[in-house]
Amino acid sequence: MASLKNIVNLLLLVGLCYFSYLMILITLQYVPIDFSAAFLGVKEEEIKLTHYQIAFFTHVYTSIFVLIFGITQFSAYIRNKFAPLHRSLGKAYVLLVLLFAAPSGLVMGYYGNGGISSQISFCLLAVLWFWFTLKAYTSIRKKNFIAHRNYMILSYALTLSAISLRLFKWILSNTLELPPMDMYRIVSWAGWLFNLAIALLIISYKTNRRFKQN
Amino acid sequence: MKHIFLYTTILITLLSSCNDAIKNEENKVVNEIDSLTTKVDSILPATDTATVVNVAVNPVGTNTVMLVQDQPDLIGFWVGYFEKKVTNDSYKKNIEAGDNLSWNRDNKINISIDQITDGKVKGHSIVAGNNRPFEGTIKEDETSFAFELSEPGDDKYDGKFSFGIKKDDAKLEGTWKAYKKIDIQEREYKLKKSVFTYNPEQKLDYGQPFGDWEKVKTTKLKDKEMIEYYGEFLKEYASATELIYEVNASTTLLKKKDVENLKKGDLLIIRNTIYARHGYSFKNRPLRVFFDAQEWYIPVHTQIIDELTDIEKQNIELLLKYEKNAKEYYDRFGRG
Repeated sequence: MASLKNIVNLLLLVGLCYFSYLMILITLQYVPIDFSAAFLGVKEEEIKLTHYQIAFFTHVYTSIFVLIFGITQFSAYIRNKFAPLHRSLGKAYVLLVLLFAAPSGLVMGYYGNGGISSQISFCLLAVLWFWFTLKAYTSIRKKNFIAHRNYMILSYALTLSAISLRLFKWILSNTLELPPMDMYRIVSWAGWLFNLAIALLIISYKTNRRFKQN
Repeated sequence: MKHIFLYTTILITLLSSCNDAIKNEENKVVNEIDSLTTKVDSILPATDTATVVNVAVNPVGTNTVMLVQDQPDLIGFWVGYFEKKVTNDSYKKNIEAGDNLSWNRDNKINISIDQITDGKVKGHSIVAGNNRPFEGTIKEDETSFAFELSEPGDDKYDGKFSFGIKKDDAKLEGTWKAYKKIDIQEREYKLKKSVFTYNPEQKLDYGQPFGDWEKVKTTKLKDKEMIEYYGEFLKEYASATELIYEVNASTTLLKKKDVENLKKGDLLIIRNTIYARHGYSFKNRPLRVFFDAQEWYIPVHTQIIDELTDIEKQNIELLLKYEKNAKEYYDRFGRG
């Protein structure tokens, strides 16, 4: 069973690296700063606003590091063997989310495409992302390792919504071929609710296993 | 653990050419360069400038006489299908796409008789984005008029028209023969006297077989030409919805909310319907087949930039922006 688990973990890691790589490519579309690149082509009104410009580029340039810094954080091997690395990456992750990525995400969510439904979704996502990350940080300061682990699972699940949202969009556009905004409204919710559900399952599984062991 | 990093490094190297996953780089909108610097000049479907001759486009003026009795009544537009002459093997020239769609290569033609003086005729014909002048003679007898008209001959597709128009009638019937050896050497046609008026309210006729094209998309296309001309077309048009009958980009200034939920096919058709209303003769085959089939459509111009209204120009810019975005990002991992 141990080997099966390793294979699954390896596949997940490879998948995560691949999609992180695609996210890097997406980020590079906005380097150097270009107010008409990619997504901004359909955000013309918003990108005229200075605060939207600041929010957008802050979000794009910091979130990619949040995603990458998180990749190795759940490895017990790295946590044990390279504890200082885990702590440094963790601090950078928390700092980037709390000060930059989540607040800028909230501003972007307010101006989100797809009407009130997606706007609520994106704003809620930003608030929860901030909340989970903050709780993860405060719990480790109190040396509460279990709470830290659980909140970090929740936080990274929301970080990964960057990938799942686009993946759902890719699947929907290549199968159901829905009109673009209908699709956008669906994935704006599905993209993170799905991840949140998986995260809660993982947490409850880990919690149950812990109780059984005791 | 070492192996994991090794494998992922290898994988990432292999995938380093997969920009296509986030953005469709190939699939550019016709004549699109940059959405923000798009000038209205560069937004029309490509025209082959080598074959465009500057001919006075609308000499008709106010001649709206539909029933021909006298020579002045002949002046005007004669519109209908320019059909390939039926021969034993003519079916071979058809372009097939599975069971549901076939194009017999007939284009809508507009033969414009511009001037008749002392038995000499001047005019031009517009077909498939090609505007060609002709000159020749007219002979009149008791019951009809007979024309013999020649195109200059400096274009590959130039030829000779022979047709007749009966008196007390509004039909023009005849043949055309190419000077040079081309794929379809002879054409025949029965044209109706028509008057072109720009009508911004004009809506699309129902009945274009979008549903069938959806199926064709999955049919194996054998004909190479078919794939070339229809491959892209089918993909775009199969995705069009009922909204193409509702959204009018000639009368309404479209807002973001009007276009953001439109699919690629919708955007393409809504934009090109503006051109069709102005009588633009489409060089692009798929668009031509689509608009030729519209009852109201008359090919009149090969250049229409100057005819576009301000509303239309603004809508074209907006639609192009969303077309570009849809083509690049709609079915990709990258979000647009």
